[in-house]
Amino acid sequence: MKLFDYVLSGNCYKIRLLLDFLELSHEKQAVDFFPGREHKSDAFLQINPLGQIPVLEDDGAYIRDAQAILVHLASRYDPTGTWWPVNDPSQLGRVAQWLAFADSITSTASAARLHDVLGYDLDVAQARAGAHKLFRVLDDHLANQELQGFNWIAGSRPTVADIACFPYVALAGDGGIELFYYPAIQRWIRRFVNLPRFKLMPGINIFD
Amino acid sequence: MKPSELEAGWFPAGLQNYVLPKTAGRVVIADNDIALWRGEDGQIRAWENRCPHRGMRLSYGIVRGNTLTCLYHGWSYDGAGACAGIPAHPELTPPKTIRAKAYRAADSGGFIWVANPGETTAAPSIDGDWVPNRSVHIDLAPTSLNELAEGIGAELVSKITDHAAIVRVPEVKGKVLLAFLDMKEHGAMIHTSVPASASENVAIAVSKLSTRLRQVFKASSAA
Repeated sequence: MKLFDYVLSGNCYKIRLLLDFLELSHEKQAVDFFPGREHKSDAFLQINPLGQIPVLEDDGAYIRDAQAILVHLASRYDPTGTWWPVNDPSQLGRVAQWLAFADSITSTASAARLHDVLGYDLDVAQARAGAHKLFRVLDDHLANQELQGFNWIAGSRPTVADIACFPYVALAGDGGIELFYYPAIQRWIRRFVNLPRFKLMPGINIFD
Repeated sequence: MKPSELEAGWFPAGLQNYVLPKTAGRVVIADNDIALWRGEDGQIRAWENRCPHRGMRLSYGIVRGNTLTCLYHGWSYDGAGACAGIPAHPELTPPKTIRAKAYRAADSGGFIWVANPGETTAAPSIDGDWVPNRSVHIDLAPTSLNELAEGIGAELVSKITDHAAIVRVPEVKGKVLLAFLDMKEHGAMIHTSVPASASENVAIAVSKLSTRLRQVFKASSAA
């Protein structure tokens, strides 16, 4: 199994997190995302015609899209069946809903970070405003989960939905998005970094 | 940054569970940036959010035992704000003049309260057992407690400070502790606590009610 990886990418970090949580042996191939734009090279477009990372090679096939790779790894390699709760059909739609939400976080909070950290030319005010709208929804949801005794997005156990939402929420400060507006999100981040086998990525400075 | 002096009195800085033992967090009171933290002793502390060394926000710091260590160069401070160690000079006993500026801080009614170091009044004491319920960010601060109570459809039962009161809301049985914190350019926070005896349904109803305040205290530019 091989992950096409860039250390500063939150989307690649999602895959690194689940590979570590499931203790899966794998190799990583570094992609020179910045400044080399290797993900747009002819060679890489053969691997992913969308020119995006991460990509996972497993059993000779390439899987693209962070959320899809999370579902692939969890449904194939999680013996407990909890990260992608296939044995609980009432939960699956809910988890999928938050996977889609994670993609919206990428197009807002991650975009603001690309602007501030890597100098991307985009409308950062619009990106930040979009992130705040989403973070209000997530903070409301997590606060009401807590009041019902649930620590995680989809209930009492962490799922791929938590992994998919975590990186660009925890990195939001790099894009000028204040997290002290969202106390329930901050408590969830702290629970997340205390998960067994959790590893930090550069830019996430939260210690247990 | 201006010298960090708050207005007189005690401010509801957040819910007690905003800062758990052995963690630090950030709060803005008017235009004062403040680091809140608890050691393993559980005591709440509020300091100017600025390391005396290089000005780094202390709210990014790491709590070990009952000391706070700055994330930048590792200067550490004891519970009273005195510098306790400088990693680049391990043999040095830090001079007593190196101190973080400490505000007064207290836990009461499920809230964290903060006041100026020279505040002479005691922190609010609130009858009964309260549990933290919800913190909600809103675009614009209410101009008064009355305006806030009106916004949530509540009746004031007793005023605690200019920013906090015990109220009664028609939708739920029992009383609610309701407060707001004006963060100026950062908007405002609404904080609620409910009696420890409140049911889960009441807790959720109060949380959803405070969420609705976002529509009442909305920036005119917001969609």
